[in-house]
Order: sequence, then structure tokens, then C-alpha cells
Amino acid sequence: MALTLNAIAFQSPKRPSFTPPPLPTAHRSPTLCMASSLRSASREREVETVNKPFTPPHEVHVQVTHSMPPEKVEIFKSLEGWAEDNLLVHLKPVEKCWQPQDFLPDPSSDGFHDQVKELRERAKEIPDDYFVVLVGDMVTEEALPTYQTMINTLDGVRDETGASPTPWAVWTRAWTAEENRHGDLLNKYLYLSGRVDMKQIEKTIQYLIGSGMDPRTENNPYLGFIYTSFQERATFVSHGNTARLAREHGDMKLAQICGTIAADEKRHETAYTKITEKLFEIDPDSTVLAFADMMRKKIAMPAHLMYDGRDDNLFDNFSAVAQRLGIYTAKDYADILEHLVKRWKVSQLRGLSAVGQEAQDYVCGLPPRIRKLQERAQTRAKQGPRIPFSWVHDREVQL
Amino acid sequence: MASVTASSVKFSSVSCLIKQNQLSNLKKASLSFTGNGFQSRRLPVLRFRVACAAKPETVMKVVDIVRKQLALPEDRDVCGESKFSVLGADSLDTVEIVMGLEEEFGICVEEESAQSISTVQEAADLIEELLEKK
Repeated sequence: MALTLNAIAFQSPKRPSFTPPPLPTAHRSPTLCMASSLRSASREREVETVNKPFTPPHEVHVQVTHSMPPEKVEIFKSLEGWAEDNLLVHLKPVEKCWQPQDFLPDPSSDGFHDQVKELRERAKEIPDDYFVVLVGDMVTEEALPTYQTMINTLDGVRDETGASPTPWAVWTRAWTAEENRHGDLLNKYLYLSGRVDMKQIEKTIQYLIGSGMDPRTENNPYLGFIYTSFQERATFVSHGNTARLAREHGDMKLAQICGTIAADEKRHETAYTKITEKLFEIDPDSTVLAFADMMRKKIAMPAHLMYDGRDDNLFDNFSAVAQRLGIYTAKDYADILEHLVKRWKVSQLRGLSAVGQEAQDYVCGLPPRIRKLQERAQTRAKQGPRIPFSWVHDREVQL
Repeated sequence: MASVTASSVKFSSVSCLIKQNQLSNLKKASLSFTGNGFQSRRLPVLRFRVACAAKPETVMKVVDIVRKQLALPEDRDVCGESKFSVLGADSLDTVEIVMGLEEEFGICVEEESAQSISTVQEAADLIEELLEKK
């Protein structure tokens, strides 16, 4: 799929009437954002910036926009009927949904104080490294405004008014509403637990929402839905693991919390992979190219720009702990990719163009390559340092 | 990134020079280098570079591994100066090239060193440095 920068896209006279108005001129040239701390070897074009105090690291690539050819917007319009019948079924009616209060001490009950005491006693048995990962997950969930925004940047499926009746918009709003409970639940649990520094966490959330996210989906729903398919499965795996570990540490209520969130993510994964499956069916060439493109760019984690005002490497450090605890690992990344390749039957696609076949080969061959790399890294893994995390009052945690 | 690469190449060249100082053919050069009067003898720049560059066989082996990894056509020229990124290697390819070199030469490349390799020559130089240490 040819990358078209703003300038070229806007000169096209064939844009259907319902596409959004052109962006102001300031956005025509790709913006280069700078990083105050570069992570390990990235060969992308990034430039060092002047170090401003308390500036969150923002390592944002050249912003490519509207890379989907305008005529393909029609595809999504024509899929509205399909979406109504096949996508919205994966939403749960609100009356049937769990709410955070279902899993937390009940403030209107006389037993509230005892329930809180029990919660705090259980939380005392859980080590700091687990809390670091749980906080990272909670911060990720709390940056929900960014994700709703990201979905609404996608051509053909965006909610144009905030109350658009299209099935795509209905899905996005309802999805956001379901996700919103995840952050609320984890926030209240962490607040009550007494194990973490809420102010530092709240600061991190404010920084993160301010920084946004750079998934490189280019307003392109092919890229966007592949990204969300991958991400929902990743959160399902991650929360499934936090649930398992909570159980191992003897906190059944916390295990239930994480497990319930994981179940939501599984349902969302089913929905997004179904959309992508439909795209593979009606436009296999574009979709396989999109899949290869996203994998070459690497799936960026939603909270990759996180910052707490102190640690320039916060995301890397958090990821290292998540890796060590087996909550979300490089192996999981390879497993998710392999799962999606099989789910979408990429190896069986036919009638692809030459570049499409190249993309197909790349994607199908990628999981074993990543596995080999990951195995090599495992055998050489040296013990990481212990570093302080502001989220746990600067106590040290093993990376 | 570029400055890190330059300094790591310089370092391996300097360490080569230190080792070569023990060989008689450079003794005179090193004496004059320490400032006891340059007189008429200048340190030949070409000899300096050749004394520190990897053996041609090493470079050729690296070229083979790079060709294989990137599935380059026969007519595509690959030599010491060739940059991996220009040859079409992404970050995954580069790591796999380093892994291939480790297997071929029986060496172990540290993460930091691996990240500083951007050309065939740099890879070959690093390999020889690691082989000498063994």
C-alpha cells in the first residue's frame, strides 16, 4: 500500500463528499517530533531535542496520514450493514454488564471498613514487582481517551459527530464505555490497597494522556483494525497473567478483577479480528500488505510514551518487569502474531499481487524469526539491575 | 547513532595499533609517534589502516552471510563499505546477520557492540577483535 503524505492526498479530486475537511496547512508537511531519551537501536528517523525539564520522552515518528486511497472509504460504507449484524453482537447490553462496584468494598454497607481492611491485608502479601506491572496496566487503561481518539482518526469508520448513528460509531462508543470500567476498577483497587503512590500514578496518567500514542496507523482502517486486533489479544494475555499471579499470591478477589477484565478483552479481540477477517475476504491484497506493514513497523504498545516526571526510561523499565514476571513477554508477542496469522489464514490467501505475496511470505515467516531471537535473548539474559519506581514510593524493583 | 558508530570503529582501530606496536615493523613508527622528534619518518596513513582492517577472508565471509540474509541478487555489489541499511536490512535482519556471524565464527557479540555495527567492514573488524580475544 503506497504511503501518501498529506500533500498528495489532498490534491485528489475524487474524495467522496463525506470525508472530513482537509487539515489546516500546518499539517501538510510531516512533523518530526523529538525525543529526550532514545531507546535501544531504532533505525527510524528521530532527532534529539533540547532537554526541557519534566518533558515526557516523546519518540514519535514522521507522522504519515491518510495512507488509504480515498476510494476505499466506500468499502467501509458498504460494510455498514454487515457491521450492524455481525459486529454489534459482540457488545454486551449495559444492564447485563459488570460494574467496578461489583468487585470493590461497598461504601453503603456497614461492613465497608472491614472489607477495606481485608483488601489491604491481601494486598500486603503481594510483592512490589507485581504492583509495578499492575500499575502500568492500570495507567494504560486510564489513557482510554487516546484510544477512542485513535479509532476516530480512521477514515471510513470514524464517529464524525460524537453521536453518529453508523454501526462503526455505535461500536466505538460502546467499546469505549466498556473499556472505561477497566481503568475505574483498577484505579479504585490500587487506591484502596495502600501499596502504591497514587499521586505519582495520577501524574503518570496525566502525562500519558497528554503525550498520546503513535501506533502509525495513518488514518487507515486496514492498519487500524490489525493494530486493535493485536492489542486486544495482548491485553487479554496480559490480564490473564496478572489474574493467575494474583491467585498465586493468594488474592482471589484481585484474580477475579483481572480475570473479568481479561474476559472483556477477549470479547473485543473476537470483534476486531472478525472485522479484519472480513477485510481479508473482500480485499485480501490490501489487507495482507497492511498486516506486513504493521509488523515491519512493529506493534507499539499503547503506553509506550509513559512518563512519571522522573524516569526517562519508565516504559522500558516497566516492560522489563512485565517480561521477567511472565505477564507480557517477547514470546507472547510472537505467539499473538502466530495466532493471528493462523486465524486469518494468511498462508492460504490466493490471487495476491507480487507485493502481496511478498507481504504474505514476510508475515508467515515472521513468528519463527521472532522466536529464535527471543530464545537467543533468553539464553543470554543477565540479571537486570534493581531500580526504584516512583509508583511504589521509590522502592527498588528487579528488572 | 552515527557518532556511536564512529567512536566504536575508532576504538577497535586504536586497540589494533596498541597490539601492533609489539611487532617490530611498527616500532620505529611508534617511537616517533610518542614525540621524540618526527625527523623524516612519517607514520604512513595507509599502513595504519591496513594494519587494523580485518582480513579479506573475514570480510568475504561477512559478505556471504549478508547476501544470504538479505537474499540479494548476484549482480548487487556488496563490499566492506556497504551499509546494511542501504542493502535493505531492517532491524530484525541486522540482528539475524549478527546471529549468523556468531554461529559462523564461534563468537559471542555483546548487545552494545551489535548495535554499533552498520557496515560489512565494521562487522568484520569486530569479529577479528573478538577472535583475537579468544
